[in-house]
Amino acid sequence: MGLIQNFPAVSILLCLFAGIISSGLKKQAARYVNTILISGVGFLSLCTLMYILETGEAFVYVMGKFPAPWGNEIRAGVLEAFMALFFCIIMLLSLAGGRKKLADEVEDGKTFLYYVLMDLLLASLLALVYTNDLFTAYVFVEINTIAACGLIMIRQNGRTIEAAARYMIMSLLGSGLLLMGLCILYDLTGHLLMSNIKEQMGWIYLSGQYKMPALVTIALLSVGLAIKSALFPFHAWLPDAYGYSTVSSAAILSSLVSKGYIFLLIKIIYRVIGFEVFYESRIVDVLFAFGLMGMIFGSISAIRENDVRRMIAFSSVAQIGYIYMGIGMGTQAGMEASIFHILSHAATKSLLFIAAIGLTDVSGGSRQFIELTGSAYRNKWAGVAFTVGSLSMVGVPLFSGFISKLLFAQAAVQNDVKMLPALIVLGISTILNAIYFMKTVIRIYTPVEEHKYESIAFKNMKLYVAALLCFIILNVVLGVSSQPIVDLIGQGLAMFS
Amino acid sequence: MMIMLVILIPVIAGIMVPLIPFKKRNHMEIFLEALVILNSLLVWNLLIHRPESVFTLANFTGNLSVSFKVDGMSMVFAGLVSALWPFATLYAFEYMTKEKREKVFFTFYTMTYGVTLGISLAGNLLTMYFFYELLTLVTVPLVMHTLTREAILASRKYLYYSLGGAAFAFIGLIFLIIYGSTTDFILGGVLDLEKIGNRTNVLLLIYVIAFMGFGVKAALCPFNSWLPDAGVAPTPVTALLHAVAVVKSGAFAIIRLTYFSFGAAFLKGTWAQNVVMLVVMFTIIYGCSRAVKETHIKRRLAYSTISNLSYILFGVTIMTPLGMVGALTHLVFHAVMKICSFFCAGAVMYQTDKHYVHELDGMGYKMPCVFGIFTVSALALMGVPGLAGFVSKWNLASAAVESGNKIAYGGIACLLISALLTAIYMLTIVVRAFFPVKDFDFKTLEGEKDPNWKMLVPLFVFTLFMVLFGFYSAPIVNFLADVAAGVY
Amino acid sequence: MYYMILSILFPICTGVYLLVRRDMESRKNLLIVTGAFFVVSAVLVILTLCITGNGIFTLFSLTDRLPILFRIDEVSVVFSVMTIVVVLCAGFFSFVYMKHEEKEKRYYGYYLIVLGVLVALCFAGNLITFYLFFELLTLSSMPLVLHNGSREAIMAGLKYLFYSLSGAYMSLFGLYFLERYGNTLTFSAGGVISAEMAAQHGELLLGICFAMLIGFGVKAGMFPMHAWLPTAHPVAPAPASAVLSAVIVKAGVLAIVRVVYYIYGASFLRGSWVQYTWMILTLITVFMGSMLAYREQVLKKRLAYSTVSQLSYILFGFAVMDGGSVTGGLLHVLCHGFIKAALFLCTGGIIYMTGKTRVEQLRGIGKEMPLLMWCYTIVSLGLIGIPPTGGFISKWYLAQGTLSSGIPGFSWIGPAVLLISALLTAGYLLPLTIQGFFPGTDYDYSTLKKKEPPLIMTVPILILTVLSVEIGLFPQIFINYLLRIVEKII
Repeated sequence: MGLIQNFPAVSILLCLFAGIISSGLKKQAARYVNTILISGVGFLSLCTLMYILETGEAFVYVMGKFPAPWGNEIRAGVLEAFMALFFCIIMLLSLAGGRKKLADEVEDGKTFLYYVLMDLLLASLLALVYTNDLFTAYVFVEINTIAACGLIMIRQNGRTIEAAARYMIMSLLGSGLLLMGLCILYDLTGHLLMSNIKEQMGWIYLSGQYKMPALVTIALLSVGLAIKSALFPFHAWLPDAYGYSTVSSAAILSSLVSKGYIFLLIKIIYRVIGFEVFYESRIVDVLFAFGLMGMIFGSISAIRENDVRRMIAFSSVAQIGYIYMGIGMGTQAGMEASIFHILSHAATKSLLFIAAIGLTDVSGGSRQFIELTGSAYRNKWAGVAFTVGSLSMVGVPLFSGFISKLLFAQAAVQNDVKMLPALIVLGISTILNAIYFMKTVIRIYTPVEEHKYESIAFKNMKLYVAALLCFIILNVVLGVSSQPIVDLIGQGLAMFS
Repeated sequence: MMIMLVILIPVIAGIMVPLIPFKKRNHMEIFLEALVILNSLLVWNLLIHRPESVFTLANFTGNLSVSFKVDGMSMVFAGLVSALWPFATLYAFEYMTKEKREKVFFTFYTMTYGVTLGISLAGNLLTMYFFYELLTLVTVPLVMHTLTREAILASRKYLYYSLGGAAFAFIGLIFLIIYGSTTDFILGGVLDLEKIGNRTNVLLLIYVIAFMGFGVKAALCPFNSWLPDAGVAPTPVTALLHAVAVVKSGAFAIIRLTYFSFGAAFLKGTWAQNVVMLVVMFTIIYGCSRAVKETHIKRRLAYSTISNLSYILFGVTIMTPLGMVGALTHLVFHAVMKICSFFCAGAVMYQTDKHYVHELDGMGYKMPCVFGIFTVSALALMGVPGLAGFVSKWNLASAAVESGNKIAYGGIACLLISALLTAIYMLTIVVRAFFPVKDFDFKTLEGEKDPNWKMLVPLFVFTLFMVLFGFYSAPIVNFLADVAAGVY
Repeated sequence: MYYMILSILFPICTGVYLLVRRDMESRKNLLIVTGAFFVVSAVLVILTLCITGNGIFTLFSLTDRLPILFRIDEVSVVFSVMTIVVVLCAGFFSFVYMKHEEKEKRYYGYYLIVLGVLVALCFAGNLITFYLFFELLTLSSMPLVLHNGSREAIMAGLKYLFYSLSGAYMSLFGLYFLERYGNTLTFSAGGVISAEMAAQHGELLLGICFAMLIGFGVKAGMFPMHAWLPTAHPVAPAPASAVLSAVIVKAGVLAIVRVVYYIYGASFLRGSWVQYTWMILTLITVFMGSMLAYREQVLKKRLAYSTVSQLSYILFGFAVMDGGSVTGGLLHVLCHGFIKAALFLCTGGIIYMTGKTRVEQLRGIGKEMPLLMWCYTIVSLGLIGIPPTGGFISKWYLAQGTLSSGIPGFSWIGPAVLLISALLTAGYLLPLTIQGFFPGTDYDYSTLKKKEPPLIMTVPILILTVLSVEIGLFPQIFINYLLRIVEKII
């Protein structure tokens, strides 16, 4: 099945081409192209996944048939293919859910640009997922940054421009650190392909030479990607960027873009530096500590927030803290939990963003809590969806959040030193999550006396409801039959090495 | 399958309430009451013809499954809940005539029945945890029913406390998954001592954390303040949920945790036992003292619930079979006593709109049935011999004596101090009602009278049970002893 | 056997019946019915005492280990006879006295219940039965205390309730332990605690015993839990005060007798720290009660303090655990019962006729109601302990037993305190007599009227007076009977 081996590369190229073509199309056409593209790429990823599951091993696709160390390689394993598939699903649903709102928020003449940026974003995400070459990764990190910036800015008001500028600066700082890390790494090993670097790193580690440079590299790479994925305390750009951009952008940024970076970090840990080397470097402890702090402070900020979108954005900071805590545990189980949480958080957070927009729309567009009172009665579907998302975030059984929590806790128990802090913070963070999400849920289900705002009928939001339903199903599937997915993650991690 | 059925019938019935267009209120009443009674009969049938096997509904992840089993503890709690629910529903029909949004109320009220049964019939820790969380969620709408600002704040608090408590209980769950041989409930515990190795102290700490976590629902001090606040809910909710179903679920979960998961043998004599016992003892006194200070009737009773729940937990922390018997006895008896006193308070509020103790002067002459029954329940709560409370207290105390634990001796003292305080806060109401001051003007109470049969029938039935349990408790106590001995 | 149950249940049931039935058409009917109930109750009790043997009658079981059972022994006889006489006298006295109080039906209802419960206490065959009725006694006598419904009375009623309950719970604390460490809770002369249990858990059991003494001591007004008594007794209607002061407090005494001599056994406690502490407490109470009575001006309060002091005479007698002192204590139970009831009824008569409550208002009262005041004087002498009244005999035995007990220190301190207290007793009781009969030269005889109370009031007082004198005149009958008890328990 040589054909399928081409799929990953083809999907990246498809995205790039689609972007180029769309720039010449009208908004309607650009949208169709985009939809077809995402579905197509999703299908291709599915095929790849099935293929890999069948053969049972990862494959390396050499671009342009130039062998290493000059050529550019793509590597696809279970995890990569699965991520690509998952990203496509989330993206498709987020766009579907936010489509109506998009028309209000983005100027007519610029809509096609939105889809162009979306195509590029998907291309860069896929590249981050699949690439086996650090420099390619860097290039697509930049493309990703630029596309994301555009997505934030495309809704043009003062706040978004400020947010985009902030995002740009922080992101570039992150990319800069990443680049520096890559340079030193190249200096140390003389390679850019992941597999080769890992070999060299193993020797360097064993020989005991270059301890300091290796440590600095690991630190630079981790911190660079941490900034880009908004790990506390580098999250200052996040609330504005997520809070004021159009809803699809917010959903995609929070659930995909930052996750792409985290996935890259995980890949670097496993495929570049080597899990043991990374674990020995104690950087894990730093990530762990920042993860824990993020869990607490993100939630506290969210509690103090009076704007529902920004609240959800701050909640992302907390959730990213969870993921870094899992990575920081430095165990296989912790890593599995983190990856599962990437999925579960992506599914939940985009659901929340999309649901929130439905609620704010029936509250005169205001995002202040006071106006949201009773909005769940005006838009029943959004209310239900928001409740589901909140319950999942709080970690109520049946929903995906519970499984992440379960996996995190199980992972924590296996680490004698980090067990207690992790568990306690997990508990506290659950309470904090409960506080701000349940506060909102109760608020939106509190009826109001006078009917200030119109409610929305089902027939005006069929697509929206469909997207919400898909999200809910996704959440429940992740929550109820998580075992196959956890197995898949384990298998994928095994394939990394 | 029967197990699933009894859990699902109330849930589905609840969901049906807003969907069926009832022509008259009566129809809804009959529909719900019939289903609730039917379900209770099914539960009793299930308990009598007990399926021995574990019923597994679904595998969750790995070796975690959602499964149900009817064992002794399930019989106690499910039996109790299913016996009380039909009466409470009957009472609620009458009470709710004065409240709005009845359908929403009955939806969640009936669903709670199923969820509570789910807790009692759960076959392993995960299933119980699942229903435990669900219980929080279905009861929140009941607490915020009146939708006043107060109610919303109360329901928020309730939600935060409950979910937070569950989050810490969850830690215990994780440890049991890792260090236990199974998460099923087995009397004597499931911990795998080989796996634990030298981590005994960590596990004890986790036990304390999980105890506190479940203790939130059981209103353990310092996590108790949600309970009095939740008293803003309509009285059937306060009575049934916050005196029986919800808080008892907390106590039930702690019994499961202590005797069926960690195992009393593992915990007995450790610092963890001392810590939880001291906390429980403190709560006993604290709850009573606050009750004495409180002037709002329902809040006073809520504080009383706090202290009485800790009686149950005190039995649990003795960690002997007799202690468990004591805990179970009080679990059952307190349910009857407290629901009765709450229903009396509710009847007064319903009939007269009086909410404070000082408004009750002379009411005993106008509502003799209600206040007569209230007096009986007050005496029972105090532990006057011949009524239910005495027997359960006796069992608790003699378990404490038997255990030979010095702290438990102190616990007996706490029980008795609490009994005195109970007398103070309950009997002052009784005295006010029956012995108003000399020149009290009865004209101000013109037109007040006892409520109608729908309210009185449950009250009389509960009174009957209080007296019956008090005079002839042998069969039920023996049954509970069998449960504690693992016969079932 | 069934007479026993009947004599307990009849007053209780009739009492409840009076409480729940609607008001009678006329006061006369109420009195006739109540009077009939009194008489039948008394007859039942007497019958029971005459025909019931020494058997144990188990009614039912609360739990497997807690049977409710009854049994009549000599102590039951002593206490129940005293109870029935006093309650009946005070009951008939109230027929007139209660005329000026409201809610008579309620009063008689609770009064009958109290009677039944008191009888049950006397007949109780084990500690748990005793405890059951002990609590019921508190609950049913509280309405008598707060009967007049003034705020003061209600507060006093609550105070009484809470003190009594805290005492009851203290003893319940002991009960829990005894059930486990004693073989049984059934009363048996000489105690039920086995030697090996005593050896194993000696200290614990002593501590428990002390808790129970303090606990039951609340009812008997023993220091440090006596404060309720001077508050509660005076606010009740006078006949109720009589019953409270003469009989209900004796329930505490009975409880202590039962615990000390029928559960623990004198030999277990003799010489222990519990005995010494107990004696100290009783002596403090004796002295303090007399002192406070001496300083008190309100007559009923003065009598209440006197009760505090006199009850501790009795308790001191039991604490010494010598044959003589116990005999004295038991005899003083009877004497004090009759005397204190008579005193309170006299006060009731005075209040009923004149409305005066303070001692200094009562100058010349002996001229107004000479019969009443003669009775008062005679029983006062009895309480002080002047022959030929009963008080002399009982105090004699008390002092003599103490002296012969040979307990270092206490064998002479005890009698000394008793003597001082007797002087104080004279000091607080006799001024009324003196002022009453000899109001002084400046007394205005012109306002004087004959105010002798009606017959139905004076007859009960006369009966009680005669009884108290009779004990002093023919002590041997009583002493012989009491010695039978003492032989068994010492």
